[in-house]
Amino acid sequence: MTEIVMSQTPPILHGPSEKEKKYDRQLRLWAASGQAALESANLLLVNSGAGVVGVETFKNLILPGIGRFAIYDDALVEEADLGVNFFVDESCLGKPRSQCLTELLTELNPDVHGSWYPSEETAPSLDSLLATSPVFTAIIYTLPIAPERLAQLEAYGRQHKTPLFAIHSAGFYSYFRISLPGAFPIVDTHPDETATTDLRLLTPWPELVEFARDMTKDIDSLDAYEHGHLPYVVILLYYLERWKQTHEGRYPSTYKEKTEFRRIVQNAARADNPEGGEENFDEAAAAVLKTVVPPSLPSGLREVFDYTPSEPIEERSSFWIVANAIKAFHAKHKTLPLRGNVPDMKAKSSVYIQLQNIYKTKARQDAAEVLETAQSIAPGRQFDPAEVELFCKNAPFVKLINATKGVDSASSTCVNVLREVTAQELANDENAEITLSPLSLLPIYLALRATSHVASATADEILSSIEETIPGTKDHERIVSAAQEVARAEGGELHNIAALTGGMVAQEMIKIITKQYIPIDNTCIFDGIASRSQVLRL
Amino acid sequence: MASTTVYPGSEPARWKYLDRIRTRAGPFTDGDAYDGSMVAEAMENMTVLVIGAGGLGCEILKNLALSGFKNIHVIDMDTIDISNLNRQFLFRAEDVGKYKAEVAARFVEKRVRGVKITPHNKMIQDFDEDFYMQFQLVVCGLDSIEARRWINATLVNMVDEEVEDSYKPLIDGGTEGFKGQSRVIFPTVTSCIECQLDMHAPRAAVPLCTLASIPRQPEHCIEWAHVIAWDAEKPFPSLDKDDPEHITWLFKKALLRAQEFNIPGVTYALTQGVVKNIIPAIAATNSVIAASCCNEALKIASNCAPSLGYPNNNYMMYSGNDSIYTYTFKHEKKDDCPVCGNLARELQVDPAWTLGELVESFATRPEAQLKKPSIRAESKTLYMQSPVSLEEATRPNLDKTLVELGLSDGEEVGVTDPAFATVSFKFKLKFKKTE
Amino acid sequence: MLKIWSMKKEQQKAENAEGAAGGKKKKVTAAQLRVQKDLSELSLGSTMRTEFPDPDNILSFILYVEPDEGMYRGAKFSFTFNITPNFPHEPPKVQCREKIYHPNIDLEGKVCLNILREDWKPVLNLNAVIVGLQFLFLEPNASDPLNKEAAEDLRTNREGFKRNVRVAMGGGSVKGVLFDRVLK
Repeated sequence: MTEIVMSQTPPILHGPSEKEKKYDRQLRLWAASGQAALESANLLLVNSGAGVVGVETFKNLILPGIGRFAIYDDALVEEADLGVNFFVDESCLGKPRSQCLTELLTELNPDVHGSWYPSEETAPSLDSLLATSPVFTAIIYTLPIAPERLAQLEAYGRQHKTPLFAIHSAGFYSYFRISLPGAFPIVDTHPDETATTDLRLLTPWPELVEFARDMTKDIDSLDAYEHGHLPYVVILLYYLERWKQTHEGRYPSTYKEKTEFRRIVQNAARADNPEGGEENFDEAAAAVLKTVVPPSLPSGLREVFDYTPSEPIEERSSFWIVANAIKAFHAKHKTLPLRGNVPDMKAKSSVYIQLQNIYKTKARQDAAEVLETAQSIAPGRQFDPAEVELFCKNAPFVKLINATKGVDSASSTCVNVLREVTAQELANDENAEITLSPLSLLPIYLALRATSHVASATADEILSSIEETIPGTKDHERIVSAAQEVARAEGGELHNIAALTGGMVAQEMIKIITKQYIPIDNTCIFDGIASRSQVLRL
Repeated sequence: MASTTVYPGSEPARWKYLDRIRTRAGPFTDGDAYDGSMVAEAMENMTVLVIGAGGLGCEILKNLALSGFKNIHVIDMDTIDISNLNRQFLFRAEDVGKYKAEVAARFVEKRVRGVKITPHNKMIQDFDEDFYMQFQLVVCGLDSIEARRWINATLVNMVDEEVEDSYKPLIDGGTEGFKGQSRVIFPTVTSCIECQLDMHAPRAAVPLCTLASIPRQPEHCIEWAHVIAWDAEKPFPSLDKDDPEHITWLFKKALLRAQEFNIPGVTYALTQGVVKNIIPAIAATNSVIAASCCNEALKIASNCAPSLGYPNNNYMMYSGNDSIYTYTFKHEKKDDCPVCGNLARELQVDPAWTLGELVESFATRPEAQLKKPSIRAESKTLYMQSPVSLEEATRPNLDKTLVELGLSDGEEVGVTDPAFATVSFKFKLKFKKTE
Repeated sequence: MLKIWSMKKEQQKAENAEGAAGGKKKKVTAAQLRVQKDLSELSLGSTMRTEFPDPDNILSFILYVEPDEGMYRGAKFSFTFNITPNFPHEPPKVQCREKIYHPNIDLEGKVCLNILREDWKPVLNLNAVIVGLQFLFLEPNASDPLNKEAAEDLRTNREGFKRNVRVAMGGGSVKGVLFDRVLK
């Protein structure tokens, strides 16, 4: 029988495919799995107003290769479109805007299929489109929008569990708001590589202990080369053991003890060599404060552990089953499954590879235990071991977005949240000078929100609409300025702000489709005058 | 309070959204610097330079054309590669191999009526100050720090305190994955790119001896193939990082080395990434950063709203990895910046002086008082006090006159002196008029 | 007001045009000025000297090192220095011109010196590099080798290593590798 050892199978010696070449710069961000998710996405844009921001968003999604898109837009192309929208030209004047946009957007990427509506033959209304089209992965609509149409889209979102993206761009201001159909967990959050180091120096397992003991049993008689190439993990384990012996079996825990421990490690370096020190001991000393830490449960994961799925469909998802299995693992072992990566450190090649294998083996064992637990929670279910391994690897960085459910924009809950947040934000602004924090951008959101269903409005109309929703705000200086600035645009878009916002929305869409990186929760406001953004949960 | 009168430019119906904003003041507009009735015409008469026609450059050209700028030049020496197509949206598969500047310029000119875009398939270093003098604004979408530093130093050096036209605001964007930044530089007035050099983390290098004797990571094997094996074996006359055959050679070498040390993870894509120092890039991030740059360009050109730059914030950092986070702040100018903290001063000299006389004069000049000055022009070493070999080689110059040495009126010289450890001087020679 | 300002500008433009008649006015670059400063602060002592093939191009020169103590005394080594316009953001590129037997210099002339690569910082200067090179001949370092065989010899058999150094410096061969003669 042939034994197949994965790590020794040589990679195929051929270059990248045409598609890999074309998408090379993005595959380095979201890999083949993210690309596959994008390619199976089917997106709808319901366009309105000046009609630019949604199109700029689509440009940034068609280029990286989403599967298909549809544009619903009642407008005919007029002269003003040619001064603000890049995806129409002179020949488009008088034609359906959705048709022109779709045709010129489709040119960007032959892999992507686009269609436009209303269309007499296939879908003369938004209703018929929503009823007949294959289910949309996500829907983008731009504001202003008619209330009936908004209600239609929100109903569709509820029914099909479809994420909705609302975008409003006018003059120098914009915001967008994401409504997710339920709690949205992300496993592949791409944490900063430097944040992922987890060496378990205070809870080493027998194989690691033995490896370190073996390398350090005659530490003082090691020759200069061997001593200078002890990996810092081994150095720290050795001196931690010695510390324990002189401290009643306790590890250094306070800051003072750790700095004392660091000094001991630093002083253990040999200085009788040309360099007057040892790089591996420098590395060991530098790693003390970050790696000599007891296991802990990060807040993002605690939130996952504490969350109770509210719907049966959620409960049955493999995410929540594996999450429960990891919770059980944590309850039993008081630590999370090991991530298994070892940062680069000065060491002989063979020693480093051995050490790496000790960590990898332990990580695989932990993942296998989690898989077994998951199977016992859901008997008969098949789990993809690779998926479980990824979850275990990323467990400390798992994130739950929208844990409390999103609600329709017109609902009273939504207005109550807005009132609360407004009070909070305006109170924060009072202290902004002392806390050196930037002023809230909420006034921009309030002013734009007041024009959600009208083509344009005067500053007074905007202010009285805000006052109606949130009493006591009509004389607030920054809200007045924001209202004037929104009125200045009369519902018109600036191309730059549309393009900028379209870039942000596309990033968020990619994160949500690929389930990689961490999306906003749930509203992002952009101020093109001060050139900054703010994310609020509204 | 917002004003109500719109002052349309040449095509009112087409530019109505833009004109509402740029030609009438809003609540944040600085009334003293702003005259809405002049904006449309002023912008139509401006010439803007775009450096780079890549991921940011394509977006910048589109954005400027739709912001009311009519005269644009674009410089880029690169040709289109298939890996550009996922974001450089002015290019199609059939354009691969053509010049980026040319294809981009033609595309935007065709799509947006009335805009004139002049492409230059060249390096920025191929042009002199006379060329850069014709622009009122420079917008950069580059991936190289070296090119940014060059254009920055050029624009700072061009500033003439008495000529308003010599101030060329520089707007610079950059991206990496989901992150990016945009910044506005008013040469000599605000912090410049050289002042901000510490914002670019240098690429982490691995010790050569690690590559040679104790590799541990797949990257170490690839760097070994790239830095050591290639030089030792010279499989091709010179390394072309865009030639798949060359990358394949490096990949196979790296793979053999990795197998020798049992190191997992060497792939073709990783090899290419390490050797070419590939930075991940997507359309969405370019869209954010390019639009931010062009938004500042519109505000600077029209004064219709306060821009980044002066006197407050001049830098916006954007990060989209974990939610969306922007940090907009003021990067302070550095007094000891080698570019903007060290502007050339004028020095009145007699062209008939010998170099020796000039060198001696530095000792007595109140602004310098240099005892052991060494002096160089851009492409000529005039006199170096040390090291010995240079002193010997340049000593004969001391007896020659400035004219004989080929120096001309207005030329710059650099003067250093070991007594002044932290400063060096730049002087612009002003020849005394001989009657 | 406005008119006077524009007249002044016109006038200045005319003057500039006159001044620029001599062609493009050359500016001293930051990299060159920094190299000029570093060179004028160089302290070479008696064991080192520089040579500039083109004195007008200070970004490219040769450094000769003649150690007067240690295992490499009596020989003369030379290094090429090439400095890019990105200096001091990037370190100078330094390479040994002779094929020599040294644990930290490989047969192609590559030098393993931390400040030439991973530990370079713009505050360091050419003098620091030169001091580093000098140190390599006084104290060859066996624990971070570029030439593994030489390092192995130094580590396990110091006397044998010394003999090999003498043989190699004389232009002889060590373990089948022929070295350049560098003895004076």
